[in-house]
Amino acid sequence: MAWLNLLKANLKKEYLELKRYLPNTIAMILTFYIIFLGLFGVIQMVGDPTTQDANTQYVIVNYIFWFLTITIINSIGYEVINEAMRGTLEQLSMSPMGIWRIMAARLLSTTVINLTIVIALLYVSMATAGQWLNIDVVTLVPIMLLTLVGMFGISFIIAGISIILKQVQAFLQILQFILMALAFIPLSLSPIIQFLPFVKGFDMVREVMIHGVSLSQFAMNDFLVLLASALFYFALGLGVFIYCERVAMEKGLLAHY
Amino acid sequence: MEPIVEVHNLHKQYKKRKTNEFTQAVSDVSFAVYPGEILGLLGPNGAGKTTTIKMICGLLRQDEGTITIKGIDNKKKRLKALRHISAVLEGNRNLYWRLTVRENLEYFAGNRGKSKREVREKIERFLRDFHLKEKEHELVNRLSRGMQQKLAIAVAMLADTEVILLDEPTLGIDIETSYEVREILKQIVKDAKKTIIISSHDMDVIQDICERTVIINQGQIVIDEKIDNLLKLFAVRNYKLTLGAPLTTEQQRLLREKFPAYQYEETDHLQAVIEVDLAGNEEFYDLFDLLKLAKTPVESIDREMVNFEQIFMKIVKGEGGNGLAQPS
Repeated sequence: MAWLNLLKANLKKEYLELKRYLPNTIAMILTFYIIFLGLFGVIQMVGDPTTQDANTQYVIVNYIFWFLTITIINSIGYEVINEAMRGTLEQLSMSPMGIWRIMAARLLSTTVINLTIVIALLYVSMATAGQWLNIDVVTLVPIMLLTLVGMFGISFIIAGISIILKQVQAFLQILQFILMALAFIPLSLSPIIQFLPFVKGFDMVREVMIHGVSLSQFAMNDFLVLLASALFYFALGLGVFIYCERVAMEKGLLAHY
Repeated sequence: MEPIVEVHNLHKQYKKRKTNEFTQAVSDVSFAVYPGEILGLLGPNGAGKTTTIKMICGLLRQDEGTITIKGIDNKKKRLKALRHISAVLEGNRNLYWRLTVRENLEYFAGNRGKSKREVREKIERFLRDFHLKEKEHELVNRLSRGMQQKLAIAVAMLADTEVILLDEPTLGIDIETSYEVREILKQIVKDAKKTIIISSHDMDVIQDICERTVIINQGQIVIDEKIDNLLKLFAVRNYKLTLGAPLTTEQQRLLREKFPAYQYEETDHLQAVIEVDLAGNEEFYDLFDLLKLAKTPVESIDREMVNFEQIFMKIVKGEGGNGLAQPS
């Protein structure tokens, strides 16, 4: 019950802050859409006409998922920095629920909110491009859930680093491009890269949305790799976060002001 | 009675980033706080007060020593210990400025795992008691600093813990709100039977609401005593002697030697005044022996009233002398 109350409180806070910073939210969505239009225009004008449709579909999926990873992973880093500077991180750290549980609740909340925005953007992008992708909910939900678990692991690592390093903003900006590489990289490049965070998940999503692969058509091995990767990165992320929290408490870094 | 907070042999040092040298922030600090007590933790800037408070809150890990909250070791079982403690560390900075008064209260309660329904009545009561009801739907960034401070205290109160730590609760607020905050704190102790540890530079606040004080200087406890005892002790010790003639040069030299913290002023050629801190009878006799050397007439002896701020300054400057209770 305490977990549920924690989640409800954070979901409400994230929603309220999104509403209060509405101009920022609208600007972020518009920026996303304008960049998408640019990419779409480039494909239309200079792309090979024979692969135009396929390229557009790849751009929609990759770009949407890159946006999702940024809003979840990067935003938790910025949020931790802001909280440390405001002085609220110390207050959160005094909760008997433990800061990692609060961060988990934050991650779940931002994911719910950002997924809603991303789904809306997906439909707007598809309508703009006139390319309708295969939205097979039954197949996409389990893949997305496991992919998000791995993504939360990376988010925990970023949150942990943000607690102990004051000058982490520069790294967060570079991180956007690392995330872009992970979102756009095709698995066909090398089988090894499927073990990188959420690469396997995004590849399976592409298979579903672009090539119309259904749940039963995936090999068991695909799901095993996805599950192992999700659990590995989540455990790693949580371990790193708890370690960073401990370091912060040793050195007095929970407040950056 | 068992102490509710017990701090034992606390040590903490920080590493300086540039020189890699260590600075001792807190050294061998020990004290106990009993249920229902209001303890003032005092000291000049950089004395180690905030470090001590943050270690009690579990926000900072001590290098050595133990802290127990209701018998729970806060290093070994941090989250369990946190169930009994809440704090206002940076006052208005501990709040979400883009949330309203009510939303802040609900959010922090939720972060401790409490539902809206569980805290509904308490929120109503605190909004009323803290005179925040009219502002409940106002964003925190639109409130005055005093209002924000009251809200931060209400947030800590809502956690419903036995121990509340307050770091500089009246810093930067006007006299009227400071008075209101003091009254609220007194009411909290009276009605809710809370234990409060308060750190402040405002000696009026400490004198007004605390029963006992622990003064820290350069990371170490220099005094652990009841405030009433300190006031009595220093009031008895502070004397003003009006003399019928100025002191000779030799007498002034001896006065400087014996009583380094003295004040001497010649009001005119016929009169002089000595203000001196006399810790015991021996020092009294020494002073009279000194006056007897030139048969200086004594016109009056008055006991000076001292306030807590003067006492604090004397203790911090090491002018406590004998007769003070040593820290436990």
